[in-house]
Amino acid sequence: MRRSWRRPVLFAVAGLLLLVVMSLLVGRVALPANTLMTLWRSDADPLAVLIITELRLPRTVLALLVGAALGLSGAVLQGLTRNPLAEPGLLGVSSGAALGAVIAIHTGLALIWPLATPLLGLAGAFGAALLTLTLGRGEGVLVLILAGSAVSGVMFAGTALALNLAPNPYAAYEISMWLMGSLADRSWDHVWLVAPFLLAGLLVLAGTGRALDALSLGEQQATSLGINLRSLRLQVLLGTALAVGAATAVAGAIGFIGLLAPHWVRPWVGHEPRRVLWPATVAGAALLLAADIGTRLLPFAQELKLGVLTVLVGTPFFVSLLLRLRRSAP
Amino acid sequence: MIYRLWSVFCAGLLLVPQLSAAATPQRVMSLNLCADQLLLALLPEQRIVSLSWLSQTEGDPYWLTTAQRLPANHGTAEEVLAMQPDLVIAGAYTTSATRRLLARAGTPLLVLQPAQDWAGIRAVTRQVAAAVGERARGEQLLAQMDQTLLQLQQQSSPTPLRVIAWSGSGTDVPGRDTLFDAILTAAGAVNVGAAVAGRADFDLERLLQLRPEVLLRGAAYAATPSMRGEAVNHRVLRKLYAGAQLTYPEAVYGCGVPRAAQMALQLRQQLLAVKTRSSLP
Repeated sequence: MRRSWRRPVLFAVAGLLLLVVMSLLVGRVALPANTLMTLWRSDADPLAVLIITELRLPRTVLALLVGAALGLSGAVLQGLTRNPLAEPGLLGVSSGAALGAVIAIHTGLALIWPLATPLLGLAGAFGAALLTLTLGRGEGVLVLILAGSAVSGVMFAGTALALNLAPNPYAAYEISMWLMGSLADRSWDHVWLVAPFLLAGLLVLAGTGRALDALSLGEQQATSLGINLRSLRLQVLLGTALAVGAATAVAGAIGFIGLLAPHWVRPWVGHEPRRVLWPATVAGAALLLAADIGTRLLPFAQELKLGVLTVLVGTPFFVSLLLRLRRSAP
Repeated sequence: MIYRLWSVFCAGLLLVPQLSAAATPQRVMSLNLCADQLLLALLPEQRIVSLSWLSQTEGDPYWLTTAQRLPANHGTAEEVLAMQPDLVIAGAYTTSATRRLLARAGTPLLVLQPAQDWAGIRAVTRQVAAAVGERARGEQLLAQMDQTLLQLQQQSSPTPLRVIAWSGSGTDVPGRDTLFDAILTAAGAVNVGAAVAGRADFDLERLLQLRPEVLLRGAAYAATPSMRGEAVNHRVLRKLYAGAQLTYPEAVYGCGVPRAAQMALQLRQQLLAVKTRSSLP
């Protein structure tokens, strides 16, 4: 047991550190590799200091936070629904956050006050979560999922409507760009705004482990083990609204990380939902940070959007994972 | 990318079939914002049958009241057929279905490519002036343009301001070989965005690396909201470019027409009024 745990943890920590260093060094402006060492010295290049501390560092922190939120909520939702295809978009939360942010762009609130975009995104996430909860109040997870997909549909339609009726070609362009997801040029303002919600969401979601383990035996067994399924669903919904809502509100829609991260870690940690939670969180953070570095490394005139890259790279990765699972299955 | 939208509205040249010089078209119709401006400058009001609807809200405010007096069209073939003009002028990147229909209906059509520099403006103006039978008026407009350009050149500052037209990351910056670069240069500024040809996407890092002294920000289109303010309000820029920013109406600068020289003159005056320079070390 000890042997099987320690190695992957060390590996994960080393990997994350490497990614963080890379993230600070990679960007449109080439900085010498020793910049990080000389950052604190008085003779450091002020431009390099500015780029690293005010542009790349907040972006890195956001990538880690957003990835962690997506990875953990994906793992929790796969546990709750006992369905390997569950992902954070399932409860309508991310499309709600997207709609909220789009409304901020559409109405011009974003112009008056830039942080209106993430704030309305959060409001949208909570609105959608509340709607899903009201519609799916009955018994069973299935009703909740159906309610979630209905809410998702409504939120997508609202977003499409905003795009359709955009009064301004720039707004239409920005809405479509925003929906692709990106972490480009985010600042510490964004970090401070969403980190409290996002971290609170992570904590709420992390507390579901034991109940999810019980639930993996079946709903009746879980109830007989003393798990209150209704409050579990509420907890998952609240945690997802906080974490994924905040993530989507600041970074736009980013697909596949929430689906992929839990699957990626399962070969190492096994299939008990509780044991997947933290590894999936770390995996989500690492995957998203790697993807964000990828958007900066790929030599396109326009920076590749993060949400586009995660899906482009995520799909073949996911397929290879499925093929391997099928081969190893008895 | 979004600038391409703008060039779409803007004019250029390329006479499709040779129009017969015999009959001077008396009733001219435009489906394109920049062609609108050329017609307004070249023709008396009575000879303009209709202008694009954009001229009634966007573009050079100089023409706004005249444009609002004239009938507007939305670039549809039905409108053209109903008006029965002698000549229709359209842009090369818009109203493509309409253009195809009109060609089939035999309506005389002039398709314009956007002008990207002063030479292009001369060519476009001469092209349209010839098509509407107002060559002399066309030459007069170009002479005024050249005079303004000469005046700008004579009064240029020995230490030109380093500027960039940047409206947030993900939006295009006009680089080398763009109309706005030509206008900026004529206005006596150094466009640091010209490090890249055409229209490019500059993120904040690259923007800071180029060390512009003043940021030119495109104003919201038709006073309707969009999010371009977001990245412009990044705290780094708030700190470094407080006061060293200038908002300009992009739509007004989007047309390669003789009045672009006037626009350069206006821009020079606005740039002179910006007292603060970026404090980037």
